Amino acid sequence: MRADTLALASAEVARARAGDLEALEHIYRAYQAPVYNLGRRICGNEEDAEDVLQDTFLEVCRSIGRFRGDGSLWSWVRRVAVSKALMLLRRERYRAARSLDGGADLSETVGRRPPEPTAPIDLETALGRLAPLTRAVLWLHDVEGYTHEEIGEAMGKTASFSKSQLSRAHQRLREWLE
Amino acid sequence: MAVMRHLGMDELLALRDGEATALARAHAEFCETCGPELERLYQIRSELRALPSFRPPREVWPRVAEKVGRRRLRRRLAYGGLGLAAAAALAGLVVLRGPLREPAASPADVWIAEATSTDLGPVINRSRQLETLLEVYSPQRRVYDAPTALALSALEDRIVLLDQILLESRAVGADRALLRGLWGERVQALEQLVSLQAVQEENRAWR
Repeated sequence: MRADTLALASAEVARARAGDLEALEHIYRAYQAPVYNLGRRICGNEEDAEDVLQDTFLEVCRSIGRFRGDGSLWSWVRRVAVSKALMLLRRERYRAARSLDGGADLSETVGRRPPEPTAPIDLETALGRLAPLTRAVLWLHDVEGYTHEEIGEAMGKTASFSKSQLSRAHQRLREWLE
Repeated sequence: MAVMRHLGMDELLALRDGEATALARAHAEFCETCGPELERLYQIRSELRALPSFRPPREVWPRVAEKVGRRRLRRRLAYGGLGLAAAAALAGLVVLRGPLREPAASPADVWIAEATSTDLGPVINRSRQLETLLEVYSPQRRVYDAPTALALSALEDRIVLLDQILLESRAVGADRALLRGLWGERVQALEQLVSLQAVQEENRAWR
């Protein structure tokens, strides 16, 4: 079932907004899978995805009183999750950039890329080979349905940046999947 | 007759997403190179959306619930909010009625003493004013982007930590200069938090 079709009773959400831990747990149970998957796809590994899951719901528990109900709860939770995942990516990039003594293209710094494959690879493997920011843009745009403007805003960059990263992602996939 | 060059990746993606020009669309319809390329982009998007889901780990909620519980406990124990309001109310009572018995070293007494003292009083009151201001902004607050969310979380965590240190410092009878310094740091963090919220609200107003 898609996360955006999950309906939580408004009474449940109201109880959660009032700080009811049981209601908050119901929200967690409803959205844990899509949030974890989002974290896993953006960050690319289990450990970071688990951090995204935990940080997202800590933030949800802390801030749900500010959810005014003018959009779907999933949209709000997803926005928090994307923010947490990108924050984690940014932290990793800074760490990597520092260890590389700076100067490198930050969108390419996390994890030294393995050598180019000599034979076609599957989509899952190809996704894992993309630079983290490039992969994040690809996932947010092509799967989550974010616009380039929304991605640019979430990343603190421009819509053009998002477009160029998406183009780069598909260029790479084209080379690797053929 | 002019021969149109093949479409680049940017143009093909724009075409797939319904943002391309009519000329590009017409080209892709008849071009034996660009047509299949466009089809391939549709195919990859479908395959991405069909990738299998991962099963989330089981033990995360208990950790979240424990942290939320700890945070709430700290908030309750810390200065500010209801504790301080209660202390202020008690202080009013003491002023009106005078001490009924020998002062005891209860937490409320210590709060009253600090909130009304000449050295800590002003900074504590400033802290309360900022908390009130935050209450005004809080219902509107949203997460707009990662840098803002990071900054807000870091400041809020800093305040929770300072509350805890204040609590423990008072429990061990730390000197007034240290307490004043801690309160000062708390006020600084709150001012930054208020300022960030104000910028967010201003940005929202311009959208």
